[in-house]
Amino acid sequence: MRVKYVLSEVLVGLWRNVTMTIAMIITMAVSLTMLGASGLMYRQVDDMKDLYYKNIEVSIFLSQEVSEQQRTDLDAQLKSNPLVKEVIYVNKDEAYKKFQEMYQDAPDLVNAVKPDQLPESFRLKLNNPEQYKDIYDQYKDKEGVDEIVDQSRLLDKIFDVLTAIQNIALAAAIVMAIAALLLVANTIQVAAYSKRREVAVMKLVGASNWFIQAPFVLEAVVAGLIGSLLGLVALVAAKYLLFDGSLKALQGLLSPISWGDILFIFPLMAGVGGLVSAGTAWITLRFYLRV
Amino acid sequence: MTKTYPKASRPSLDNVSVSIEKGEFVFFIGPSGSGKSTIIKMLLHEVTPNKGRVIVNSKDVTSMRSWKRPHFRRSIGCVFQDFRLLPNRTAYENVAFALEVIGKTKAVARRVVPEVLELVGLGGKEHRYPHELSGGEQQRVAVARAFVNRPLILLADEPTGNLDPDTSIEIMRLLDRINRTGTTVVMVTHDSNIVNQMRRRVIEIESGRIVRDQARGVYG
Repeated sequence: MRVKYVLSEVLVGLWRNVTMTIAMIITMAVSLTMLGASGLMYRQVDDMKDLYYKNIEVSIFLSQEVSEQQRTDLDAQLKSNPLVKEVIYVNKDEAYKKFQEMYQDAPDLVNAVKPDQLPESFRLKLNNPEQYKDIYDQYKDKEGVDEIVDQSRLLDKIFDVLTAIQNIALAAAIVMAIAALLLVANTIQVAAYSKRREVAVMKLVGASNWFIQAPFVLEAVVAGLIGSLLGLVALVAAKYLLFDGSLKALQGLLSPISWGDILFIFPLMAGVGGLVSAGTAWITLRFYLRV
Repeated sequence: MTKTYPKASRPSLDNVSVSIEKGEFVFFIGPSGSGKSTIIKMLLHEVTPNKGRVIVNSKDVTSMRSWKRPHFRRSIGCVFQDFRLLPNRTAYENVAFALEVIGKTKAVARRVVPEVLELVGLGGKEHRYPHELSGGEQQRVAVARAFVNRPLILLADEPTGNLDPDTSIEIMRLLDRINRTGTTVVMVTHDSNIVNQMRRRVIEIESGRIVRDQARGVYG
């Protein structure tokens, strides 16, 4: 009967102050969505780093007037370099073939370029793609080297953007969480005030502290959990509409977010939502009810 | 014992020592601000003395941890001048509420509550709301609520303060009947009529000191 009493008190409490309850749930939902998005972004960046760094190449383009001797020297040096995992030499004809493949939709461009005009290059795979800078320093001034291009530098820019978005989402989550916290504290105060007679009688006849506090704390926890459910819905909608919808074109670039990722992030959102609400409610009651 | 409230210029209770035996009926009288309410609050463990000890039911409650307070309160019933009933609950529900929030089942309430309402003379009015009852009847509900848990002590803080003389006497008869079941009754009052009629132990307090402690006393 006590459990039933507490639960019915929770429902009555949430309904009595329904506008405040809705405000509380909405802020909580927005905050938790941002938290979830930030968490997903974190995994996303990790996944993408794994995916891309495996395939990343450094290209050393040779100048047009490179001599046979310089080329063989470079080849030997690269093959014995401990930073390098694999070296592929691409001559002018191969470069032209690749060029033709890449621009097969633009025959005019392909026709205008002769195999002679394309530079020879070494394509390197590094043991650790992040050591690009060392390779660059070692070979930039070598005879016959024209230019060194590193794909990871481009990727780093993308990752910088993703990390910035992640930080913005996290900051928004924190700001909204503060608003949610204040709303929880306020809702609990209003609830405690509207039940002050019951609370006074309960204290008088010796109801235990947890019994007096439980309905208020649970009220906040239920709101927090509903908020996290709405956050889950928002994330699912974002995946469905954004990633699988309008951003589908970028799918080659962004690694896909699986439903599993979203389900994995939900316990985090629910846990944070529930615990933050419970903690806030409990602290508010300690000041407000002095039980 | 001595109790000084923060910011007070003089102690609310100054070196007061009282011993009340089990089953006694005691009046505390004295002007407003003399310290009577402080005694009640100490018995309820709402305030603790700066000096001295409070012993209730042969247990030292002076340094009792606050989380033990709820359980301690269950052995003390309380009645106040302003009844303190829940307006949206009937007489029955008000009394049952006191049982249910300390963990008694509805079945227990169904057995005990009608009994105690009968005892206080409210048989047949169980399902009235407080606003449908007279002041005297409301105070009877409050007494029933205080007594339903069979406490060892009943504290009454000016229980007749809001009632007319005839109704007051009925409430006093009720408290007297409860006292006869072995319950210790401690009552704070200004009502000289009642004190003079009951002829029970009277402790008079003035400016935080006991100025009179008289068995079968009068208001003075």
